[in-house]
Amino acid sequence: MSKKIGVYICSGCGIGDALDVSALSKVATKEYKAPVCKTDAFLCGKDGVDIIKKDVAEEGVNYVVIAGCSGRVNYDVFDFGPSVVLERVNLRERVVWTQEPDDEDTQAMAEDYMRITLAKLKNLEAPVPFIGEEVSKRIMVVGGGLAGMTSATEAAAAGYEVVLVEKEESLGGWLKKSYKIAPLSPPYTNPEETDLAGRIKKIEDNPNIKVYTLASIEQTAGSPGMFDVTIKQGDAAATERVGAIVLAAGAVPYDPGKLEHLGFGASPNVITQAQLEELAQKGCIARPSDGKAVQKVAFIQCAGSRDQEHLSYCSAACCVESIKQSLYVKEQNPEAAVYVFYKDIRSSGQYEHFYKKAQSEGVIFIKADVTGVSDDGGNITIEADDLLMGSPTMADEIDLVVLANGMVPATAFEDPALGGEAQAEVAAGSDQAAPAPAPIIKSNILNLQYRQGPELPSLKYGFPDSHFICFPYETRRTGIYAAGSVRRPMDMAQAVEDATGAALKAIQCVEMSARGMAVHPRSGDLSYPEFQMNRCTQCKRCTEECPFGAINEDEKSNPLPNPTRCRRCGTCMGACPERIISFKNYSVPMVGNMLKAIEVPEEDEEKPRVLIFACENDAIPALDMAGINRLAYSKWIRIIPVRCLGSLNLIWVNDAMSKGIDGVLLMGCKHGDDYQCHFMKGSELAGIRLSKVSETLDRMGLESDRVYMTEVSIMDYDKIPKIVGDFVDKIEKFGPNPMKGF
Amino acid sequence: MVNKSILVVGGGISGLTAAIEAAEVGFEVYIVEKNSYLGGKVTQINQYFPKLCPPNCGLEINFRRIRSNPNIRFFTMAEVEEITGQEGNFDVTVKLNPQYVNENCTACGKCAEVCPAERANDFNYGLDKTKAVHMAHQFAFPVKYVIDAKACEAGCSKCAEVCQYKAVELDMQPKTMKLNVGSVVWATGWKPYDAQKLSYYGFGRYPNVITNVIMERLAAANGPTGGKIVRPSDGKEIKSIAFIQCAGSRDENHLHCCSTVCCMATLKQTTYVREQYPDARICVYYIDIRSRGKHEDFFVKVQNETNITLIKGKAGEIMEDPATGNLTVMAEDQIAQQLTGEMFDMVVLATGMAPATAEQKIPAEISYDEDGFVASPQTAGVHAAGCVKKPLDVAASVQDATAAALKAIQSVRGQNNV
Amino acid sequence: MTDLNVSSEPVKYNPDFAKEIYALESGEHVKLCMQCGMCALSCATREEMDYSPRKLFLLMRVGKREEFFKANTMWMCSTCLMCKVRCPRGIPLADVMHDLKSHAIKLGYTERPQATFYQSFWQEILNKGRVFEGGLMARYYLKRGWSEMTKGLFEMRDLGMTMLKHNRMPLKSPKSIKGLKSMKQIIERAQAQMHREEGR
Repeated sequence: MSKKIGVYICSGCGIGDALDVSALSKVATKEYKAPVCKTDAFLCGKDGVDIIKKDVAEEGVNYVVIAGCSGRVNYDVFDFGPSVVLERVNLRERVVWTQEPDDEDTQAMAEDYMRITLAKLKNLEAPVPFIGEEVSKRIMVVGGGLAGMTSATEAAAAGYEVVLVEKEESLGGWLKKSYKIAPLSPPYTNPEETDLAGRIKKIEDNPNIKVYTLASIEQTAGSPGMFDVTIKQGDAAATERVGAIVLAAGAVPYDPGKLEHLGFGASPNVITQAQLEELAQKGCIARPSDGKAVQKVAFIQCAGSRDQEHLSYCSAACCVESIKQSLYVKEQNPEAAVYVFYKDIRSSGQYEHFYKKAQSEGVIFIKADVTGVSDDGGNITIEADDLLMGSPTMADEIDLVVLANGMVPATAFEDPALGGEAQAEVAAGSDQAAPAPAPIIKSNILNLQYRQGPELPSLKYGFPDSHFICFPYETRRTGIYAAGSVRRPMDMAQAVEDATGAALKAIQCVEMSARGMAVHPRSGDLSYPEFQMNRCTQCKRCTEECPFGAINEDEKSNPLPNPTRCRRCGTCMGACPERIISFKNYSVPMVGNMLKAIEVPEEDEEKPRVLIFACENDAIPALDMAGINRLAYSKWIRIIPVRCLGSLNLIWVNDAMSKGIDGVLLMGCKHGDDYQCHFMKGSELAGIRLSKVSETLDRMGLESDRVYMTEVSIMDYDKIPKIVGDFVDKIEKFGPNPMKGF
Repeated sequence: MVNKSILVVGGGISGLTAAIEAAEVGFEVYIVEKNSYLGGKVTQINQYFPKLCPPNCGLEINFRRIRSNPNIRFFTMAEVEEITGQEGNFDVTVKLNPQYVNENCTACGKCAEVCPAERANDFNYGLDKTKAVHMAHQFAFPVKYVIDAKACEAGCSKCAEVCQYKAVELDMQPKTMKLNVGSVVWATGWKPYDAQKLSYYGFGRYPNVITNVIMERLAAANGPTGGKIVRPSDGKEIKSIAFIQCAGSRDENHLHCCSTVCCMATLKQTTYVREQYPDARICVYYIDIRSRGKHEDFFVKVQNETNITLIKGKAGEIMEDPATGNLTVMAEDQIAQQLTGEMFDMVVLATGMAPATAEQKIPAEISYDEDGFVASPQTAGVHAAGCVKKPLDVAASVQDATAAALKAIQSVRGQNNV
Repeated sequence: MTDLNVSSEPVKYNPDFAKEIYALESGEHVKLCMQCGMCALSCATREEMDYSPRKLFLLMRVGKREEFFKANTMWMCSTCLMCKVRCPRGIPLADVMHDLKSHAIKLGYTERPQATFYQSFWQEILNKGRVFEGGLMARYYLKRGWSEMTKGLFEMRDLGMTMLKHNRMPLKSPKSIKGLKSMKQIIERAQAQMHREEGR
């Protein structure tokens, strides 16, 4: 299909007053030979839109350029269907609302933006979605505990086939070991039955759920929509094709063997929460030492948790669990004395009602630091600093001490059977300047056939959690969603919600992958990176740098892309020194042409040009906001949005300098521990690449400070004039780029 | 005939999430929002804990997801009046309140320039003013102006006259609209518990007693003070500040439950203060500090880096010195074993979350718990999401809303009973 | 307020004492105390109390019986009800204090002047069906002793004179109320029922 470009310039919102619109039209018609170019005073009004629609329908215009307001507004008005490629030239927020009206430099800026957009069209094609072969919409759930069973049942209830893999011989996980569970619904006052049989029956009766027990995953190959999972059951192995995975491998109690200071090991009557569940299940909570029914029980909270020498996090569920277990003791013997030694009682939300219930049954809560636990012939004495008494205290003749020993995710343990080879390989293969790879602990759970390692990257403490608050299901392995206590410490009520949400995300992923669409954050994007393999030098940059592990490697180090794992950030494109990676609508030559379209004045005109590559997630909206607030900034800048700074290819800097542009400013998201980059590593990688730019600049005989990277959050709009102004001042001090005119 | 579309009531973070997540699976979704903008409460938050990142960052992504997804339609200034029918086939009556500005609005701002009338800015809890015709806030999505007709001067039509796009319609009337949907997700969120009910803290009487939600606006760069935390009474800088936890939560006389987020919110707000005032005295009065899970890291970090004083003891009373506006906070410091009465420049009440359903019930058969949170919907096909169900932080609301999206999909697929 | 480390004995938790208190009429509610300290601040006589109600419950929990009953907390309660109104756990603190006073008297913790006053007041009512200030004073000082009487009467002489002047304090003992016998029967029956309930 041939391109027919229609350019539509809006003169409303003060654009017509500030700019010479007819001169702007000439850029389109004379310089870029746009066959259609029209001007309207109210383009987003019905009449304005009708002009465009008519041209699309009758004139065959299929590339529409709207020069007016930002693409962040009127997106719904300017929607001409999927067959029309739409580009917006932001004259309003980016030019007339930030610059002097009726000024030649303002006009030059507007004309440059017109050029940049029209140059972009040269290399811009409508994306053709990647549709995989034999795409599966089945969901695999790893782990048959409460979270896993919930994910399986909920996904199946929405009409999806589920493969559920459990390592033990029956489903249930912690529920099997629990006498009762903390309440999941109002009034939140009484422990509930686990309903294990009911939950299992729901799964067994559902023909859409296929269960593997006593099973482990030998390997997970492929990508969303096309995962091939080899499941081992004893000596037998089966392969299942699934579309997405919910990882609900759960957590295990913190090793009580490390809690000797709380008496574990020294006395049989010092037990864990899990052991108390066992006792309660047997029907009698008795002293392990002599079987005497308990009269006096003490719970010690934060046994291991909130402790820099053990687990520095709070295990989230233990307060509620101890409240529940204290009620077991009271149920068995209302006269029993029950003490709970705590730091803070964290019965958040409606579990406050549960706390009150335990109190009303006579459970005594003591804010204290436990200093010693000793056993005298089965009778235990706890010594503590009672913080509210302000004095050392003692509880003696205790029959049973229960340690609330917290939780550690199943993903936190390196399987000794696996050795450390692959991990070492990742480390050795990575460039020194590259960011440290996210820790991947070889827990032998998923055994992903991914070049970047066999399991989900851990965020902290071995939990493969999302780093984002707004997007708790964000994952660095597309289509694999952690749910329940494996991903962060949580109680059972939270795990149920989490598992249901994860099931939705898995379903969403299979649906979007089947349509060739990217998932969050570029959800719906149909483009994907294509590799011109004949020019590949096997340098491995793309396979190492992809934040999502999307690209595998063959034995000759050739990249093997997996488009459905891809999130379309373009980090691979930015990394590739040979520039062989392109999207249909985003490529190295495309951006190269855009920046080359900028008109660079002669040196003697003393009109510097500064190019800004701005991340479209945060920096671009911040620049828009600067305009909306009418904050004036330098007239020398030209902005080109990028998908993520990770997609920044150094050739662009080279091109800009060769072209005579005086400075390049990169605006990306915050990186480091509290990173805000929506592609995790993009801005960080850009920073690392940039450190190599100084060499290039030196070679060109230019000051390396002509290229500078800065972090811009969406709320930094008020700082934009200063950020830009300071950089432009610096560039002006350097004087003009000597490459001008070459 | 089963209708496959889903109605989400409430366009805050829970509603947005439920809607977008369902739409990205492929379902048609409507959002009904009572404000003139989407985003709800989180738009008024300065930073999220524990990352201290701006909510507008994530909202921008969500708005982009809406922009690029034809499955989503939303109605602002809208309320649900009636729900009839059953799962798979609900008839919903939606009232559209007049915005007095139509879709022609280009947000050029000419109207506000000529508008002679001012109104208290509810977005900033009345701490500053806007024109009667105004944009709800800088990041408002959709980017449209709205007129607060109650604030207009009688007979004035200056905005309509100046608008060259005929976007102002001063005679706009409320409308009703019917939607037929297969399932409803109710996500109307929460309100800050009314701090005036805690008479012993003097909120409403003492200008320097504020609430945690007001603190978010004071600290926000786009807030009434441009992000400078100062005393409301005299605009003075702060040398000392107290945070009072459980102001209305964990209280049989007020909200019975714990509001979950206030401990972390306060710890976060101490970092706002510390950043602006390296030498200010910061005290937090608490019963238990509930930084659950990995949030404990933030609690430790604040203790190590922010130099706050934690006082174990619920603050009992605040007294104001009318001459200076200074406030004395009375409490029993239980660790130090003494009654304390310390003076502060400003006090922040960590008021909790009252569910929106405490005041405005869902027009369907639903039961509520003692605080008004949705207990369990008896009406099949109506699902609650987010803070109408329980007090939740943002991440947990998003998880819950994502789960609710799946429940809604199960409803419209009619396979709930498989 | 008094430092809690009243005794040098190592503090040992003893649940039995708490149970004794829980068994009182409003004692059940004390279980719900979450140690927030709101009562301490709501109290009109907080400056006078040895321990706030919260601390008193802490002593109870630990089992410090003697310190508990010897503290002036319950006796200083003026039943202004502010604590009861504000307690976030809804504990009817004024009622609890009343229970504690009556329990303390029953157990013989009567050293506090307030205890004597309560007892005298009750005797006076029981005797006449109404209160005669002179009679009340007499009963009170009979128990408290000679030296306290001289001191007390001297201190209160202005108040006494004012009351006399305004006819608020008759010099002569008033007559007993009508139906004194019936009143006594009512009280006896109520007490009997209370004992039965306690026995259950």
